[in-house]
Amino acid sequence: MNLFRIPGQGRVDPTTPVEFTFDGKTVSGYKGDTITSALLANGIHLMGRSFKYHRPRGAVCAGSEEPNALVGTRRGAGQFEPNTRATVQEIWSGLEVTSQNRYPSLSFDIGAVNDRAYMLFSAGFYYKTFMWPKSFWDKVYEPFIRSAAGLGVSPSENDPDKYASRYLHTDVLVIGAGPAGLAAALSASRAGLRVTLVDENPEAGGTLISEPQTIIDGVPAWQWIDQTVAELISLGVRVMTRTTAIGYYHQNMVGLCEKLTDHLSSPNANMPRERLWRVRARQVILAQGALEKPLVFDGNDRPGVMLAGSAQTYLNKYGVRVGNNAVVVTSHDSAWYAAFDLADAGTKIQAIVDTRAEPAVELVAGAKSRSIRILSGYSATGTQGRLRIKSVRINPVINGKVGAPETLECDCLLMSGGWTPSLHLFSHTKGALTWDADMQTFLPDRKTEDCEIAGAGRGLWGIAAALNDGAAMGAVAARTLDKVATNTVYDVTNDRVGTGVSHTELPTDLDPGKARAFVDFQNDVTAKDLRLAVREGMHSIEHVKRYTTNGMATDQGKMSNMNGLNIAADALGKPQPKVGLTTFRPPYTPTSFGAFVGYHRGDHFDVTRKTPIDSWAEENGAVFEPVSMWRRARYFPQNGEDMDGAVSRECKTTRSAVGMFDASTLGKIEIVGPDAVEFMNRMYTNPWTKLAPGRTRYGLLLGDDGFIRDDGVIGRLSTDRFHITTTTGRAARVLNMMEDYLQTEWTDLKVWLTSTTEHWATIALNGPNARKLLEPFVEGQDISDQAFPHMSIVECTVAGFPARLFRVSFTGELGFEVNVPACHGRALWQTLWDAGQQYGICAYGTETMHVLRAEKGYIIVGQDTDGTVTPYDAGISWAIGKTKPDFVGKRGLERPDLVADGRKQLVGLLTQDGKTLLEEGAQLVLDANQPIPMKMVGHVTSSYHSDAVGRPIAFALLENGHNRVGETVYIPMPEGVISADVTGTVFYDPDGARLKL
Amino acid sequence: MMALTPEFTPGQLVSGDVVSVSLMAPVARFSLRLRAADIPAVSTAIGVDLPTRIGACAHHETVEVMCLGPDEWQIQTDANDSVRLINACAAIYAQVPHSLTDISAREVTISIEGPGAVDLLSIGCPRDIDKIAIGTGCRTVFDGVSTVLWRDGETRFRLDIWRSFAPHVIGLIQTGCAELAAQ
Amino acid sequence: MLLIHCPYCAQTLPELEFTYAGEAHIARPDASSPVSDEEWRNFLFIRTNVKGPHYERWRHSHGCGRFFNAVRDTVSDRFLITYKAGEKRPELSDLLEKSK
Repeated sequence: MNLFRIPGQGRVDPTTPVEFTFDGKTVSGYKGDTITSALLANGIHLMGRSFKYHRPRGAVCAGSEEPNALVGTRRGAGQFEPNTRATVQEIWSGLEVTSQNRYPSLSFDIGAVNDRAYMLFSAGFYYKTFMWPKSFWDKVYEPFIRSAAGLGVSPSENDPDKYASRYLHTDVLVIGAGPAGLAAALSASRAGLRVTLVDENPEAGGTLISEPQTIIDGVPAWQWIDQTVAELISLGVRVMTRTTAIGYYHQNMVGLCEKLTDHLSSPNANMPRERLWRVRARQVILAQGALEKPLVFDGNDRPGVMLAGSAQTYLNKYGVRVGNNAVVVTSHDSAWYAAFDLADAGTKIQAIVDTRAEPAVELVAGAKSRSIRILSGYSATGTQGRLRIKSVRINPVINGKVGAPETLECDCLLMSGGWTPSLHLFSHTKGALTWDADMQTFLPDRKTEDCEIAGAGRGLWGIAAALNDGAAMGAVAARTLDKVATNTVYDVTNDRVGTGVSHTELPTDLDPGKARAFVDFQNDVTAKDLRLAVREGMHSIEHVKRYTTNGMATDQGKMSNMNGLNIAADALGKPQPKVGLTTFRPPYTPTSFGAFVGYHRGDHFDVTRKTPIDSWAEENGAVFEPVSMWRRARYFPQNGEDMDGAVSRECKTTRSAVGMFDASTLGKIEIVGPDAVEFMNRMYTNPWTKLAPGRTRYGLLLGDDGFIRDDGVIGRLSTDRFHITTTTGRAARVLNMMEDYLQTEWTDLKVWLTSTTEHWATIALNGPNARKLLEPFVEGQDISDQAFPHMSIVECTVAGFPARLFRVSFTGELGFEVNVPACHGRALWQTLWDAGQQYGICAYGTETMHVLRAEKGYIIVGQDTDGTVTPYDAGISWAIGKTKPDFVGKRGLERPDLVADGRKQLVGLLTQDGKTLLEEGAQLVLDANQPIPMKMVGHVTSSYHSDAVGRPIAFALLENGHNRVGETVYIPMPEGVISADVTGTVFYDPDGARLKL
Repeated sequence: MMALTPEFTPGQLVSGDVVSVSLMAPVARFSLRLRAADIPAVSTAIGVDLPTRIGACAHHETVEVMCLGPDEWQIQTDANDSVRLINACAAIYAQVPHSLTDISAREVTISIEGPGAVDLLSIGCPRDIDKIAIGTGCRTVFDGVSTVLWRDGETRFRLDIWRSFAPHVIGLIQTGCAELAAQ
Repeated sequence: MLLIHCPYCAQTLPELEFTYAGEAHIARPDASSPVSDEEWRNFLFIRTNVKGPHYERWRHSHGCGRFFNAVRDTVSDRFLITYKAGEKRPELSDLLEKSK
């Protein structure tokens, strides 16, 4: 077992073996292994099939940039995740791993036929192929694309895991815990700042883990990591591992995704799987290092072909040799060191193939001392091997001419095309990049945020450079925050600095049009595709990207973008900076939906506001409906009633006896001050000056555009104090609007507003028995019609509770609304409910409320109005105080369009058959026989069956409606045309006699 | 962990080493609004110097005040003292107009205590809690809901929540407590 | 998520406590005397919609409750200044000078 593991090497825990399954077969590794390192330790390179051509693929790298080794992972029931990057997922006993994009099996895959049809799947394949005929879209093309698209299988069960989120404020956030990040965090924290250090890996150290030979200030690298982390923690630094900085947003807000349980075999059930952190940092230090580039040549994607730096990581971090027999192909010095480490560990290095003619002297010496064959000035032109590389074809390149090929046998190929600074997060900030011609890469330039970039991220190469730059940038951040900081300089030995050159495709003696030279491994984009895109007219890198899909996979082109740019620039004959780089966007790595959702699922999905009486409604079988953020009782079914049955009974009971209704959700605002009445005059359309204390009035609120915003009954408690009610949904907006006028337009007024919506529970009693029921409980007020007429208000005591009692009705029946402090709401409800039994009381919900008010022609703002309706349109212009010099909306009502003919106006509709219930939202036409498209002249706003009227009733907004009363309109529906008479809006008790009982 | 009752029965909701949460007994609570020039007169009348820095608090006997805005204070006291407060304000209203509005039943209050209190608040409150000095507070937001946060000690807080939002906020707080306890 | 300095609280606080409230320095014409249709239309609907520094209003709705004014660059999303309602409209040239 673990044939490729070197005992004693690496950081895995050899005392803790771990067994997991890969495509059903048990694989063993050690604690500390990733899926990939464990598979490689067992000699398994084949890990998946590619997206488009289904080519066999293995891991190319050892980090989160991995494009190939994407697997399905299953941790338990419902806990399946597709496209897990096998290079970062830690193993634990019981983890189930499956390969993707293959059928029936990984080693024999039918979809691989696509690879043989390679020449057909050129750039822009989709655009070119699925064009016509149009009728093919629904039945042929779309199903085909849908079944072929996507990588991995979506989970089909509900995610049982928990997700969490937190806000975090820190002085300095350091992203990346490699040498630069560790040194930066040390500088900043020694200066006395709150520092947070994050890294996506399970442990801090970064490159230092792959470079154990490094000695820092006399201390071996790994020991230095341990002592540095210990010092950071002692200085109060929050060191967060397995935590990816996914996005960098305005004003130094950085999103972090912390993975908490995916590496554990039996996590605590209350532990969230992931936690999203919203970090606000005063300074950010980006120490994200650099990512290695592949070389682009035919067959550079075969299992066994991998980045040289990653092979070095597998060796030093996990103690795993990626093969027995390696060829190294490189254009950068770093791969030579990887070759040396592997050679020293017992892997046979067949040759180091360097594209450069004259490698550095010390590298050549290092190779010679290990008896490694050196082939400098060579190109790689092809590989062989079905499920694993067997050989590589190489050719000398002399003065640009490709010479005769030679074939080298191997079981792995380590490539390096140089390194790209990782500037993804910097790119999120729209920081500008500058092209460095020497390094053939983009480097950070102008910054838009308070951040510093340290180490390899800004093109510095080597451990010493990273450490010293990190220390310096930490000190810069500290000084920016007015702290004293010293620039630590580290003494580093065994550092491996180096240089390299950059390439497009490697030169070849074969037909480049037939080469499978991959640039984007995840999306299967080749060099040929990029050149074709340019030939076909894509001249912007953004167009090339979308036409070829280069860099559009979930890895966002971490490995491919620079190679893609080099090739596109070459094809266009322009320098790279003239072609430009596509923009990286958050998230840095794929992030689960769960992390973004956080707590907001299940019971925490959103706020559900409940009234003090809600619990009674629930206990009594109410059916609820959401009304803005509230849940309100819609109806109270009895004995298996449906909604129509319940509403019919509730309506009848309320009109014949008494009904009670929880109106607590009504918005309430207390208006107090010597200018209260002046404020009311300016705010509402109605005149308020003559409203006596103890009286109430229907108030209508407009916007300054003249359209109806809100309405409600308003009581004057004393000269200087009003109790306003608003509609349920607009309470907060009305208060906001009032504060706006008070704070910014009418600063002279001495009046103040307080929201009392939730201070009061409101119980509405309606029906001929309402007074009989209420009277015995009221102290301090005679509520007879003479002493307490319709539209009165009083502060009194009801059932022993302090109360504000309104005589008001939204049903057309004798009505009262009792407001008591919310803590007494349910007790009062119960008292009235019990006492109401002798009067045949029912509880009714919002549906009955709607029917009863519609019978009376009372509008609901937001249902019968839609933000374009004036009081005239709604037929309530009587509510306008025409003699007032000004009020909100007064001037707006005089706007030409608002006084023009042909406006939509609120009318009643009665279907001519007396039976058909109109659909709310249905459109009205004047001539049902006109050709389609018909001219629509309005729509139904409210529609109910009315027992009191004995037929369905409806409201509609109808063009020129007030002048059409008595005419017929038509409502074309799928089942046929309905005809209706246009009527007034009051269907029941037009004289209002029932209110005056 | 105790369930929150629909009646908001006071009592401990979560107890633990990391953090404890209790629903506190109701108090008499008022919104006081007035103009800056009238602060001295009202302070004299109610017997507490109204703080003028937003977030600052003042105490006298049973009365506690937080300045919520340039013209807005939250005053709370025990139920027995509320009549005195109402009468004191009424007595000066003619000379010193202001708004005193009873909001006793509008909010419920939870106390949050323990070494995990700051972490717990950070699950819903975007403010830098470290910057809220002991003995001060603020109106802020918790998971989208307006709340008033009082910092009574390094690891002791109170949170006032409008009644209808309380089940949501307290439910989330309880989830947060379980999470903190699991760490 | 932005950080916004509330001129009343004298603190820089998370955007979640604030609500955007439209363009600033648009005074409501006194409607008790005649106002032309055009003037009223301008008050209701006509906005500068600038690309760049924008005078706008915010409300510290989950805080002190005050409406205040700000100048924010609509390209970079950076605030150049926030100031109390009723205070003089700051000169853009001064702000741009200061922000350098």
